[in-house]
Amino acid sequence: MRKGQILAVLGIAVVAGGIATAVAVVPTWLPVQASREAGRIDFTIWFTIVISIVIFAVVAAVMIYSIYRFRAPQADDWSEGPPVHGSTGLEIVWTVIPLLIVTSIAIVSAIVLSRNGSAGNNPLQVDVTAVQYSWSFTYPDAHGLTSSVLRLPKDRSVVLTISTKDVIHSFWVPEFGQKQDAVPGLHTHVHITPDRLGSYPVICVELCGLGHSVMRSTAIVMTPAAFDKWIKQQTAAITSPSASASGAAVFTNNGCGACHTLVAAKATGKIGPDLDKLKAYAQQAGQPLDQFISESITDPNKYIQPGYPKSVMPGTFGASLSKAQLDALVQYLIDSAKG
Amino acid sequence: MNEAHPPAPAHHGTARRLLLGPGWIRAAWMFALFALIGMGLVLGLRAIAGWHPVFDNSIVVLVSLLVTGPVGFLAGIGCFDYWVYYALGFPTRPEDHSGHGARTWKDYFRVNTDHKVIGVQYLTTTMVFFLIGGLLAILVRAELARPGIQFFDTQTYNGLFSVHASLMIFLFIIPAFAGLANFVVPLMLGAGDMAFPRLNALSFWLLPIAGIMMVASFLVPGGAFACGWTGYVPLCSTHQPLGAVFFNQAVQWAGASSIMTALNFLVTIITMRAPGMTFWRLPLLVWANFTTSLLVVIATPFIAGSQFFSMFDHVMHTAFFQTAQGGYPLGYQHIFWFYSHPAVYIMMLPGFGIMSEVISTFSRKPIFGYRLMALSLMAIVVLGFSVWAHHMFVSGMASWLRVPMMITTLLIAVPTGIKIFSWLATMWEGKLHFNTPMLFALGFLSMFVIGGLSGVMLGAVPVDIHMNQTYFVVAHIHYVLFGGSVFTIFAGIYYWFPKMTGKMYDEKLGKLHFWLTFVGFNLTFFPMHILGTEGMPRRVADYAPKFADLNMFISLASFGLGASTLVFLYNMITSWRSGEIAPSNPWHAMTLEWQVSSPPPIFNFDEIPQVVGSPYGYGIPGAKHAILAPSKEGQEVGVT
Repeated sequence: MRKGQILAVLGIAVVAGGIATAVAVVPTWLPVQASREAGRIDFTIWFTIVISIVIFAVVAAVMIYSIYRFRAPQADDWSEGPPVHGSTGLEIVWTVIPLLIVTSIAIVSAIVLSRNGSAGNNPLQVDVTAVQYSWSFTYPDAHGLTSSVLRLPKDRSVVLTISTKDVIHSFWVPEFGQKQDAVPGLHTHVHITPDRLGSYPVICVELCGLGHSVMRSTAIVMTPAAFDKWIKQQTAAITSPSASASGAAVFTNNGCGACHTLVAAKATGKIGPDLDKLKAYAQQAGQPLDQFISESITDPNKYIQPGYPKSVMPGTFGASLSKAQLDALVQYLIDSAKG
Repeated sequence: MNEAHPPAPAHHGTARRLLLGPGWIRAAWMFALFALIGMGLVLGLRAIAGWHPVFDNSIVVLVSLLVTGPVGFLAGIGCFDYWVYYALGFPTRPEDHSGHGARTWKDYFRVNTDHKVIGVQYLTTTMVFFLIGGLLAILVRAELARPGIQFFDTQTYNGLFSVHASLMIFLFIIPAFAGLANFVVPLMLGAGDMAFPRLNALSFWLLPIAGIMMVASFLVPGGAFACGWTGYVPLCSTHQPLGAVFFNQAVQWAGASSIMTALNFLVTIITMRAPGMTFWRLPLLVWANFTTSLLVVIATPFIAGSQFFSMFDHVMHTAFFQTAQGGYPLGYQHIFWFYSHPAVYIMMLPGFGIMSEVISTFSRKPIFGYRLMALSLMAIVVLGFSVWAHHMFVSGMASWLRVPMMITTLLIAVPTGIKIFSWLATMWEGKLHFNTPMLFALGFLSMFVIGGLSGVMLGAVPVDIHMNQTYFVVAHIHYVLFGGSVFTIFAGIYYWFPKMTGKMYDEKLGKLHFWLTFVGFNLTFFPMHILGTEGMPRRVADYAPKFADLNMFISLASFGLGASTLVFLYNMITSWRSGEIAPSNPWHAMTLEWQVSSPPPIFNFDEIPQVVGSPYGYGIPGAKHAILAPSKEGQEVGVT
């Protein structure tokens, strides 16, 4: 390789690298960082992107230079090029340098993995249950309080223990970075330290059946004071003697708000029918209201409200709710439905 | 009478021959007969054992339509004739080789022992499944163009992308490489055919069975298998309709085909090299198929196992993966990925071989670093078996396993990088010709580097924790499988088209095809990286509204990419029918297939060549790879 050639290739590499850098920097590639782990993950991502840009630029430059400089003089001139069979020196260089590069990636990654996995002393424990097709979050330290929305205090280390009742699901909040599968028969764990207030989507990221793309919830990061207040309010509702109030707890505990709208419960789900319209639905179906509601919970496929999909609402509530819970829930819905 | 062309077999044309002789009519009734026998076996056994209901839909369909019926088809079309006659002690049909080779188009639709015919059968069949799989992808992109559900119910939609991937992997990429190699490898070795020509024919005929079975799953009550080509349990075992069993079993047929072919290649390459062809004088295409065949024979039985276990859980209520009875769902993933990771190397190494041939020929230069190129293929084979759990970083497997798997995954980038740099060095100071095969090779170099780099990124565990199961992975997959493997398949088809058909393809149309594909491909798949990092999961029918613009852009680009295939098809069909007659060596290459006519004589070489040097001796005046006797055919017809 002559000096002129090296300079030309370097020049093209700089341009190619510049274009690649622009592609890496101009669009928004990553969600906002809402946890410390996401911060470390994003660092690793940028570390590997920089390396990738350099390698891509070198390869692109050699290719582009070759295409322009070494074109055969004429299409029908099949004369042969120089009989260069190899160069041991060059082969050593392009074996050792990539080896060093991948080693650096491994070291950075191992450190990040270790830091992201250490929950520290006294993490907040939340149990995540995945079913086809909703999430529910239980706080074992708060009398088993269960919510369909994941509420977390800012700047506290959290350990999620994830399980499922049917097939494999996967828990992910893009802004938190961390992800973990829910596997039947196992309790898996993931560690998150949220450090930004806000509301972020909880997504299922392992194909789990027909409702996979709608199996979503929300993660809300609150100030520690707001979080403690919420815990106290919810615990009071669970232990309340009023059927309607405990029915409200059953509603929240079982993730109904993930798919249904009910103003009284501040639920805004759009996947299933709007529960504020239950009276109208029952009339449409020609059934008495309490029987209609009860059957819709225990045997959802028996009557599908026109315009809504079949086989998305879990059919397991008939088994998983006790009679008392079912009655309380039905009462709560009768009392709360607005229309 | 010319000895190189024995007379075609006399067709008796009687009804008896049509009904009882090997062929499609016999295949049809033997399929039905064997299916009924299978059904009878199942019903009989269930009745005797007192298992009710005696007519259990899934086991009856499985055994009769998916197992015994296809065996009947294979028997009817003639795959087992010779062996059955031999085993039963009957006189075998005379071995005058009159059935060998193709004289008319009909010879391509029967059991044929000629590796060149089988190669073309493979390529045309896999091309059909490429088109079907591509159509399924277009349907997926049509649904994803806008948020919300527009065209398909979710069961069908999930089936679309599941069957798309299964067809592309098992019925296109893996067998298309096998088909190209089938045609080329014996010629490159100086051999008259493969070591086991009848086994070769059987390997081919297993493929249409597998493909039809996968497509037929759409017609089964309950719909196609809708759990992704990865078939994770328990969703794909006990939570799927009957269509899932079609997938489980189709994989077995395709896997059997793959294993038989690989065995054939290994024996052929080891035992049938022309005199003087040491391993260090093998063309790199042969090295590539040799190493791929090692991967196939060792790894493929594992996917067979994983599919058997899943299918048994589904149909026979075993508990391999049922946690209530002590089963372990993650076990499926380990067994599955132990094959499916080497599978991606099965889908790439033959392409690397094609690249070495094309780049060397069209640079007019020896391959740079030949020995290290061969050794890095071996390194990829060995390392390829040690990385499987990088598909399982967030699966809930033992967390300590992640770091060793990360290390091996990152290490495998090193031999792969060696190959990329060696190809670049081959081009450096060569005399480059930008015919269509070379254009696809250049496209491969750039696209595979991008796909490889996104793979290195995914190999870093923290990065994978964020990116796993998002569109970033979909982008990575398609950069390495389409920008990588498919580009090399196109390069190989264009490169050897003159040799296979005796005609030149239209170069202008070839270039048009390349540019449409290259641009359409990048516009379709590059934005998927961004969708993934921003948080769009894969395998979804619907997505958050913020992803709408990019999805619409990608869908439109994908329609353009799909349309580019039409240019390719038009070129292939019209050129084969009425293209310019091809000389024996249009590319002035040195490997043995170019030293015989286009297409080659039916038995390849009139006399076994004597190999005297490297197949890449460009630039040394008078360097020869092999010495061949002058063609008798050429002499008789008066052509010098």
